[in-house]
Amino acid sequence: MKNLIIITIVLISQTINAQKYFTRTGITDFKASVGTFDPIKAKNSSTTAIFKVNTGDIAAQLFVNAFKFKIALMQEHFNENYMDSDTYPKAIFRGKIEDFSLNKLSTQKDFNLSGSIEIHGIKKEINTIVTINLTNNTIKIKGSFSVNPRDFDIQIPSIVQNKISKQINITITYELVEKT
Amino acid sequence: MNWLKKHKLIIVVLLLVLGSLYVYKYTYKPHKLIENSIPIFKGKASLFIQKASENLNNWNSKIIVISGRVTSIDKEGITINNEIYCQFKNPKEILLIKENLLLQIKGRVIGYDNLLEEIKLNQCILK
Repeated sequence: MKNLIIITIVLISQTINAQKYFTRTGITDFKASVGTFDPIKAKNSSTTAIFKVNTGDIAAQLFVNAFKFKIALMQEHFNENYMDSDTYPKAIFRGKIEDFSLNKLSTQKDFNLSGSIEIHGIKKEINTIVTINLTNNTIKIKGSFSVNPRDFDIQIPSIVQNKISKQINITITYELVEKT
Repeated sequence: MNWLKKHKLIIVVLLLVLGSLYVYKYTYKPHKLIENSIPIFKGKASLFIQKASENLNNWNSKIIVISGRVTSIDKEGITINNEIYCQFKNPKEILLIKENLLLQIKGRVIGYDNLLEEIKLNQCILK
């Protein structure tokens, strides 16, 4: 009898643990141009995200050096002069999707996402709305939010200050599959 | 000297053109292609894991060639030796790959992913 209870507990806890969805190749874009000739934007298609569906906890992590720009020199400057990607290789987000439940996902639905983001070694709280839907056992999370480079102590030389917007718009598109 | 004075304008224009051409070439230089990059590590995946665990920051953005066993496959990449995820430059190449194959892969190290506890490579190509 005792064994049976233990086995049941183990099985239940395993199913709870199994409720994790993840991706290794989530897309994180940003745009920072103010009507310049060459748009300042980049795409990171190697973002890792893990989402615990039973609690709504979500963690995402990306490597700064995996942002791809159209112009190679821009990419070089982004890594070396702005983001210091050798010293701060990662950007990390940890947060929660409020009132999340898989049952609510019969159609596309908006949720509140809040948490802290760490860029360039500095943490900041963010709050935004994300759109989530579930198709073929894939959870798709889409959303966007803005950050100010100054909040993360990212120095922008005065010569290019007019070309880089004060608010950098970040868009996320993560397609998560169940983690086995 | 006389010639120089006579053609001053032409020389100035020529220098300006050359100068802007240089600036243009510098600004719009192409991305480095993984195919043409010389790897700084070439060898067994297990040896790379051992070396990388000492200090992964040294490997940030470096090009490597590793050989090892395919332990899992997804839409955009494969996992080698359970510990190295290789995201492919051209996901079509993955269609040729099956689990348990021994492969040689060239790719760029982007870092250690501590959410999934694996080393991550991108722009991978089959060797």
